[in-house]
Amino acid sequence: MLSADFVIATAVGYVGLLFVLAYFGDRQARRNKRSFLHSPAVYTLSISVYCTSWTFYGAVGNAARSGLEFLTIYLGPTLVFVGWWFLLRRLVRISHMQRITSVADLLSSRFGKSNRLAVLVTCIAVVGIAPYIALQLKAVTSSIQAVAGSSEFGQGALRGIDDVGLAFGVAAGMALFTILFGTRHVDAKEQHHGVVAAIAFEAVVKLTALVAVGVFVVFVGGGLEAIFVEAAAKGVAIDAHDTFDARWMTTLALSVAAIVCLPRQFQVTVVENSDENHLRVASWAFPAYMLAMSLFILPIAVFGLSRMPAGSNPDMFALTVPLAFNQNGLALLAFIGGFSSATSMIILESIALSIMVSNHIVMPLVLRFGADRTDRKEGVTRLLLMARRFSILLILTLGFFYFFFTRDSDALAPIGLISFTAIAQFFPAVIAALFWRDASRKAATAAIAIGFVFWVWCSFLPSFTSVSLDIAWLLLHGPFGVPWLRPEAMFGLEGFDPLTHAVFWSLSSNILVLVLGSLLTTQSALERLQANVFLDVFRRGSTRVESIALGSATANDLFFVAERVLGQQRAAALFEAEELDIGRGEGAQEPTSAFIGRLERELAGSIGAASAHVMLSKVVSGSEVSLEEVMQMAGETRQVIEYSQELERTSTELRSTARQLEAANAQLRELDSQKDEFLSQVSHEVRTPMTSIRSFSEILLDDQELEANKRQRFVATIHQESLRLTRLLDEILDLSALERGERNWEDGIVDPDAALQRAITVSEALLRQRKVAVQWGPRATSAAVLGDEDRLCQVFINLIVNAVKYNTASVPVLLVSSLSGGGRFRIDIADNGPGIALEDRAIIFEKFARGRRGGADQTGAGLGLAISRQIVARMGGTLELVPGPLSGACFRVTLPLNAVQ
Amino acid sequence: MPSGSKLRGGMLLLTVLGALLMMPPLAYVFDQDLVHFGVPQVVFYLFALWLVLIVGTAVLAHKAGPDDIAASGEADR
Repeated sequence: MLSADFVIATAVGYVGLLFVLAYFGDRQARRNKRSFLHSPAVYTLSISVYCTSWTFYGAVGNAARSGLEFLTIYLGPTLVFVGWWFLLRRLVRISHMQRITSVADLLSSRFGKSNRLAVLVTCIAVVGIAPYIALQLKAVTSSIQAVAGSSEFGQGALRGIDDVGLAFGVAAGMALFTILFGTRHVDAKEQHHGVVAAIAFEAVVKLTALVAVGVFVVFVGGGLEAIFVEAAAKGVAIDAHDTFDARWMTTLALSVAAIVCLPRQFQVTVVENSDENHLRVASWAFPAYMLAMSLFILPIAVFGLSRMPAGSNPDMFALTVPLAFNQNGLALLAFIGGFSSATSMIILESIALSIMVSNHIVMPLVLRFGADRTDRKEGVTRLLLMARRFSILLILTLGFFYFFFTRDSDALAPIGLISFTAIAQFFPAVIAALFWRDASRKAATAAIAIGFVFWVWCSFLPSFTSVSLDIAWLLLHGPFGVPWLRPEAMFGLEGFDPLTHAVFWSLSSNILVLVLGSLLTTQSALERLQANVFLDVFRRGSTRVESIALGSATANDLFFVAERVLGQQRAAALFEAEELDIGRGEGAQEPTSAFIGRLERELAGSIGAASAHVMLSKVVSGSEVSLEEVMQMAGETRQVIEYSQELERTSTELRSTARQLEAANAQLRELDSQKDEFLSQVSHEVRTPMTSIRSFSEILLDDQELEANKRQRFVATIHQESLRLTRLLDEILDLSALERGERNWEDGIVDPDAALQRAITVSEALLRQRKVAVQWGPRATSAAVLGDEDRLCQVFINLIVNAVKYNTASVPVLLVSSLSGGGRFRIDIADNGPGIALEDRAIIFEKFARGRRGGADQTGAGLGLAISRQIVARMGGTLELVPGPLSGACFRVTLPLNAVQ
Repeated sequence: MPSGSKLRGGMLLLTVLGALLMMPPLAYVFDQDLVHFGVPQVVFYLFALWLVLIVGTAVLAHKAGPDDIAASGEADR
């Protein structure tokens, strides 16, 4: 049989053991940076401070009362740790870089180092955690009573002490213990290795105890199946129906938020983290720990329900079942396990909260009103420790009072969920702080405030129903009889489970205000700066942003501030590292702004971002102004960059224009030289007939006695030459008119085959004279192209005349064929002459290019083909030289068929 | 060894899938009125899902290797 005295003595002894562990853990961790205490295993075990007596006792009770719901409390955190890469890793990295000390510090730092926001978050946390602390006090009290009540002589020293007195004793003991434990010194990074070591030890104890009880139950019950079958036979069963309802989703969401935002979880997971790689192990090891903790909850609950007398408190099954089987040793182990889970939670939670209170409420007040007190050396450090001790007392007192007022409610889990709902109000702001650049301070403050108001009204207030009749009346009828303001049926939303109802209204209003507010308000310069620091934490080279945000100060002033907060030794070490001389007065080296930024982060590690910022602003000249200036400068720099980019664009455009001009110029020069060449060719062409005309006419003028027939021949030659001259000039005029597109041109539907026939008819005389045989190839008649029939005929005549004129074969042949198809009309005119020499083929369409084959016989000016090509081009076709079917040349005219036809 | 972005994709998939599987409507699929060894089937389902998430995370975290985040927060000192 266990007596209460013995149990209490064991508990005190256990606490003493923890203290020794913490003491040596601290020394060990300080001496050896690579000790076991810096391992990922200890880190993981310390995170399992999440499993409090709510888990140890409450989960069994919860399983007995509402089935599988207890699992959500562990499945939610499992999801957060499975997705550690996306949320926790970012959180840890940012907190390391910015020396974040708490969730209030995180939000304050992100939203422009706002102290008001930090105060709000701290107050909500202190009030919101009170039920949670009360839960632990209640669990410890109930467990002591369960042991004491199990036998007649077991009361011992507890005789005559009711549960309130007992809870007060527990609270007082816890306060003393936590103050001794957690507030011995102020650490730069708020890391408490000794405490973490003790917490890790407690994690092992509570897991061992719960598993031991579980194994015992399975053993006594004759196996897992036997327990459930026996329970089913007695009509007791775990409620597995309608598991996945709205309440399931609600508690799942709450536990996701809680594992991130609970002050003690933030403390162990983020602040106490000494190496980011530890997260890698914790990501699966912590869920595994929770799985092990949950494994025997159901068997214990079912076994307790079926074997224990009706009316037993299911929350205490883990303790009362071994007692019922007279297993005193196991019962003591179970008690120590439950005690472990409660003490670890109270210690860490009150340490975390006391840091928040001292950094965000006490420090700013001191900075504002009691400047004289901080002037003494070590003054700030001592002040911080005192503030923390008083906050621990305050927090446990609040917890005790909540316990005192709500002691009549019996279940543990619902009390914890009230705290979870309060803490969950930080979650939207935390997520926005990490992932949304535009989230603003005003919106975050308003969002958390409105969520808190809904929490007080819908969740906190209703928990006092058993205390006050007024509150019970309020719940039924609403304030002043306004039914739509009833705390558990806001805006007429009835029929919901109260927890789901409270979480829905508080979180949805919270998120709405946060999003809408951020869209409507604007950020200050410091907010924008911090938002960039937070969101770009994984981008290389972006961590130095804040160093440019500060003005300048003398090394002496800075040292004065640093010494007061960090202590003489650490401040000196910090300044020595930077090689700054203290006390030289004038001419001393000015600290760089990077150093001031680093100093601010170091200070923030001790007193929070907002207080550190205020403190440094006092000695750093014009830091606020310079911040605005820096932002403005950044804006101007951006403008300059944009301007220079525009200049570059313009210069590129200019370059391309210049290139185009150059090309045009080259083309003009080319044309100019072509014109010169043309002129010289024309002069040459004109000169030959002119010379002969002049010489013959001179002979006629000089020699009056010339014979008549001779005179006649000379005159004929002059006439012939002048005709040739006229033809040449006509052709030149014709060509230039064609090139300028000025000549009379009659567009009409032309049958090209008919035009060809006409050209042959016209050339009949010449053909007969030269005895040329015209052969017809395939003919495409009655096609239609658009153009001038006379000009087309001129082209054909020119080609035929050329073919005849240059043909030196003994039996000259002309092969003419026409073809129509594919939208085009084609005419080939081939001869069996000598063909065109290879080197002439490229130039025969040029002006005055006569080719070599003509010899003296030729009479044309060499413009015919050029003119023909111009005409065909004008009709949209081509004139080209192709390999022909006969030995001679073959000219091909291709014309587009008239689309209308 | 898979690339970093694929591992991150795997982590995201595991997280999202885990969340979906423990919420309605997907959870209804396994929430049948069946009893194995005296225990309702849904209990087995939830614990099995839990175990899969733990093992999956352990495998992915191991594969990611410690180098990815070795440059820890002390870098700015």
